[in-house]
Parts: sequence; structure tokens; C-alpha cells
Amino acid sequence: MTAERRDDLTDAERDLLARVVAAAPPPPEPRWGEYRAELRARLDARRSIGSRLRRWWARPASIALSFAVATALLLFTLHPVERRPDFAALDEAMLGARLDLLEHYHLVERLDLLENFEVIRRLDDVVSREG
Amino acid sequence: MTDDREATSDETLCRRIAARDDAAFDVLVARYQARAYRLAWSLLRDVEDARDASQEAFIRIWEAAERFRGDARFSTWFYRILVNVCLDHKRRGRWWTRLVSRDTDREGDESLVERQPAPGPDPGDHASEAQTMARLWTAVHQLSAQQRAAVILYAQEHLSTAEIADVLKVAEPTVRVHLHRAVAALRKELAP
Repeated sequence: MTAERRDDLTDAERDLLARVVAAAPPPPEPRWGEYRAELRARLDARRSIGSRLRRWWARPASIALSFAVATALLLFTLHPVERRPDFAALDEAMLGARLDLLEHYHLVERLDLLENFEVIRRLDDVVSREG
Repeated sequence: MTDDREATSDETLCRRIAARDDAAFDVLVARYQARAYRLAWSLLRDVEDARDASQEAFIRIWEAAERFRGDARFSTWFYRILVNVCLDHKRRGRWWTRLVSRDTDREGDESLVERQPAPGPDPGDHASEAQTMARLWTAVHQLSAQQRAAVILYAQEHLSTAEIADVLKVAEPTVRVHLHRAVAALRKELAP
């Protein structure tokens, strides 16, 4: 036990930990040659990806393109397109509600005309005089 | 002689790796592979995960070698990288591998208690020392990830509490608390 192992444990406790860890089953040993070959392959793959990324980033066009895409995404996220009321749809709805009037438009037109001449208001008088 | 040792010290190898020396990397891997794999296996208890995590730690050493300042020992720095990889691995979990059970993993995951022969017919028989230790080892694996790492680094890798604190990036008193709690948990397990 070295002096720098300031652990506040008693000797019995240290011994307990040591025995527990020593009793642990040994890990199944890999074939080290295969292990290193696999590691080398993984490292080579990582290096080639890294170098490709570095080469890509070294091009001014790539940097400009990346910034453009990032800026567009940022703007789109911060300022989503405003949803304005759809006036055409509103107009259509109103027209739909007045469909009956439109179908008899010629009659409406005449009634309007007669109203202008105050014929409608005096209609009772006209009838009684005729009667 | 001193020059030879200096030429192949971990710190020197790390500097050579920073300069992209493949041969230095191979020497370092050969030197640390067994320790790295054993530590990863102790933390993860899975053959494939231990292999994966220990290899990932070596790759990170290659990538970050130039950032090794030499303030601490290389081994401490390496353990820090490895333990971080293992704890990340554990946090992420590998749910898809749990769905598909593998024979090798089943063997690795099986607790020692389960592998012990069945107790004899006499109920008065005391469990053997090996059985007790196996039960305690299982108890170690029920500790929190950081406590378990502290115990393994302390008792298996013989690191000082200061070094463990450096590896786990916690204060040294926290390591002592981890060790105390681990011992308390083991004592509880030992109690009749």
C-alpha cells in the first residue's frame, strides 16, 4: 500500500476489496492478433473519414455552401413564413351563403329598381285604388 | 539503458503518436491492450462491449495524442479516456443486443453464483470462500457505475485515490466516499 493511497479504509476493508476483485472471473481472452488487426482497420476507417472531411472543408465552395444552408435553416427556424388569412376562401364562403340571391339576381335587380322609384312603399295604395 | 527506457516510455510514445508515428501506436497498443480490455470487461461485463470500448479508447488516444500535456502520467490519462468510453457505453446501452441473446455474452453475463455448484443437502453447510467472494463480486456490480469504477481502479488497477479522482473527474473525498459505500455494501452482503 503506497502512502499516496489516502483512502481512510482499514486494512481489513482494503483486504476485502482486494479479495473480491481477485475473485472476479478472468475475462475471456481475445486473440490479440485479431484484436489489433480489427483496431487497425477501425483506425484506418476513422482516418479516411477524417481526411475526407478535412479535404471537403478545405474548399472555399464547400464552406460557402455550408454557411448558406446553415443560414437558410436558421432564418427559416427563426422567422417562419407568416400565415396570412386566405381572402379568396373567405370570399367564396360569403358567396356560397348568398347563392339563393344570385340565382334570382334578375328579380333582385328589379326590386331594387322599384324601390328607387318608391313603388314598393306605395304598393298598397296602388292596389286599393285599382280595387 | 536509461535512453532506451526514455525512448519507449508511455509519454514518449504518446508524443510520437502525436507526430503520427504508426509504430509507436502499435507499441502502445501492445503494452496496454490486456489492461484496457480487462478494465473494460470489469466495467461492462460483456465481451463484445469490452472489445469495442477498449479499441475505441485506443482510437481516441490516436486522435487526441497531441492534447496530452504530460501533467499527469500517461496511464492516468489513458484510464480516464477508457473509463469515459465505458461509462458512455453503459449509459447509451445497446438495446438491440439485449433483444438478441448471444451465447458468448450469456456466458459472460452469468453471475458467478449461478455457475457455482448447487449447495449440498445439509442446510448447515457454510458457503465456501469462493462462493462468498463470487456473491460479493456480484454485489460490486450492483453499485453505481462510478462507485464500481472507483473500486475496480483501486483494487484491480492499484490506482491511488488522487489518480482515481483524476480519472473520474471528481474530488478526491468523493472517491473515498465511493470506496466507503462500496465496502459498506459488501459488508451488508456478508452479514448473515
